[in-house]
Amino acid sequence: MASDYNDVLQKLCHHLKQFTGPDAEITPETDLINQLAIDSVKLLNLIMEIEDEFDISVPINALADVQTVHELATLIHQIRTANK
Amino acid sequence: MTSTINLEGKTLSSTIAKLNAPLTQAFDPRLLNESPIAITPTPTHNTQTQRLADFETLTAALEYAAVGTAGYNFYDARGNLRSVLPYQALRQNARNSAQRLLSIGLTSGDRVAIIADTTPEFVELFFACRFAGLIPFAMPVPVNLGSHAVYVQQLRGMLEAGQASAAVANVDYINFLEEAAEGSQQLRWVGTPEQLGKFPVPDVALPPNHPDEIAYLQFTSGSTRVPRGVIITERALMSNLQGIVRHGLEIHAGDRCASWLPFYHDMGLVGMVMAPMVAQVSVDYLATRDFAIRPLQWLRLISRNRATVAFSQPFGLKLCTLRVRDSDLEDLDLSSWRAAGVGAEMIRPDTLRNFAEKFAPAGFDARAFLPCYGLAESTLAVTFSQVGQGFQSLRVDAGTLVDRKMAIRLQADGRKYSEFVNCGRALPEHTVKVVDDAGQLLPDLRVGSVLVQGSSIMTGYFNNPEDTRKTLQPGNWLDTGDLGFLFDGDLYVTGRRTDVIIVNGRNIRAQDIEELAEQQPEVRTREASAFGITDANDATTIVLVIECRLTSVTDRQSLTSRLQRLVYMAFGVNCLVELVPPHTLPRTSSGKLSRFAARQGFIQRTNLTDQLSAESGDI
Repeated sequence: MASDYNDVLQKLCHHLKQFTGPDAEITPETDLINQLAIDSVKLLNLIMEIEDEFDISVPINALADVQTVHELATLIHQIRTANK
Repeated sequence: MTSTINLEGKTLSSTIAKLNAPLTQAFDPRLLNESPIAITPTPTHNTQTQRLADFETLTAALEYAAVGTAGYNFYDARGNLRSVLPYQALRQNARNSAQRLLSIGLTSGDRVAIIADTTPEFVELFFACRFAGLIPFAMPVPVNLGSHAVYVQQLRGMLEAGQASAAVANVDYINFLEEAAEGSQQLRWVGTPEQLGKFPVPDVALPPNHPDEIAYLQFTSGSTRVPRGVIITERALMSNLQGIVRHGLEIHAGDRCASWLPFYHDMGLVGMVMAPMVAQVSVDYLATRDFAIRPLQWLRLISRNRATVAFSQPFGLKLCTLRVRDSDLEDLDLSSWRAAGVGAEMIRPDTLRNFAEKFAPAGFDARAFLPCYGLAESTLAVTFSQVGQGFQSLRVDAGTLVDRKMAIRLQADGRKYSEFVNCGRALPEHTVKVVDDAGQLLPDLRVGSVLVQGSSIMTGYFNNPEDTRKTLQPGNWLDTGDLGFLFDGDLYVTGRRTDVIIVNGRNIRAQDIEELAEQQPEVRTREASAFGITDANDATTIVLVIECRLTSVTDRQSLTSRLQRLVYMAFGVNCLVELVPPHTLPRTSSGKLSRFAARQGFIQRTNLTDQLSAESGDI
């Protein structure tokens, strides 16, 4: 299970790189809003990429409780686990 | 749920299937058991004689539409038909729900708040309220990252401002609603449509509605603290709907609508739920969320079902232009689309040109563009341009526009100009005028405040006489808050007064942002000013200027990032925070902050003048 989460986290960080410089470090604690400045349009792109990458559908209501990279990775992991 | 065909029984957003499977791979075995039965959408060609909104009330219109074969169709993110709700089934389900609502102790005129996801259940409940003589109002779904707390606060504000007696949300949103309803003295029932459906249907009479009763409340903007509920009567609603279907769209047999517009916005609810029904036209829906992520699905719906009427904000058209790949165009045939309504925010000609250019190879005809202007305070529509003529625009000298508030048509090339889209003329029984700051009527081509008078103007803001007085002027002239000019009887909107900032198609009240700032311990009242700046690429950024006494770099940084986070969580947009010394912000003689002057000051300090688009959006 933990390795699944780590896999999700790694892939997610790869997608998040587009919002930062190539050298910036993204950690689980990175704040999506403050540190990566993801506005609503970037968010749509990110969700589309996540859905394509992980073969899931992200319910919009769940995003209301997501602020950090860790929280987003956990959400993706949960959706994937529930689908299996 | 007697005759609704509903494959999933649940809501769309909780059951959106795997999105990355292209339509051509529909035989993916994982997907097969999700759509076991082939269902067909309601037909475009109806069996009954078309009547164009000549009804006294919304329920009378539904009684008539229920005799025919048209209705609403709900599609999922992959473009599969999920539920079909013929008007006949809608009428029956809504009447049953109406009796259930009355059985839980609600009485005529009580308000019912409904979180408006794009589902058959929302539409049924909305009409159930009307059959029961109750006043429904739609509440938004949460859309921003980390917005939980702010969203709950927003719901609470609406429940209180609308003094709701009952509130309904589907399983996806019920926890937010229950949180918002905690401690409410007014609410008598909070639950899901499924819970309501478990009540027995009592045999109570449903008397017809009267044209003078309130049809619904429409909440405006994503306001956090003081949401305002626009009161619309049946008479105003039916007048506007008649104007839309007869004069605006010239609806006729063979028309079909396709929409992704949210049901909690006036353009979605009045324009794409009610207007098609009162003309017995079928509609195909895509949830807003699904459109936003994959705009191509909306165009595919239009193409596949041969839709003729589909509306969007300019921002939605931009999303299509930006996000649809050229390789997707081959499968699209948009030639059936005869009325591409555009409204709800200022229309930039380039947005339309870029869209037309991108989708011309897919058969899109630029003559379909139908710019229009309206606002919830006038039910929905005020002006329409001529259907089938495409969009017209006027290029005016940018300097004169800003300095003298005059639109002078461009005589020579090379001068800096602003181009404005012709929004057409007022619907029958409506008048538009443009006035100066003193309320004096202005002649053609002079920029001022846009005022509207007519049969679809709101009665006022619910339980808010103060704002009603400010907005409805003597003679029942509605102050729209927009700036513009008239030319040959047509309206050109040039900007918004500085109290509203439009970012990515969303109206954000400057006051709400300032109040958010003033709630911070470091910020005093009247020491925050918010406004928008729009660059040459038409991208608007919110700027928040704060008079700040903090000296430590860490403290200043902490305040700045906290403010950015709060603004993001409340409105889903990034903002630029500038901390300035006390007494920097310009004030009027009465001590009020002037957002216009604050904006001018900011532009000067940052040397941005040349990069910003010329706009007259200030007075």
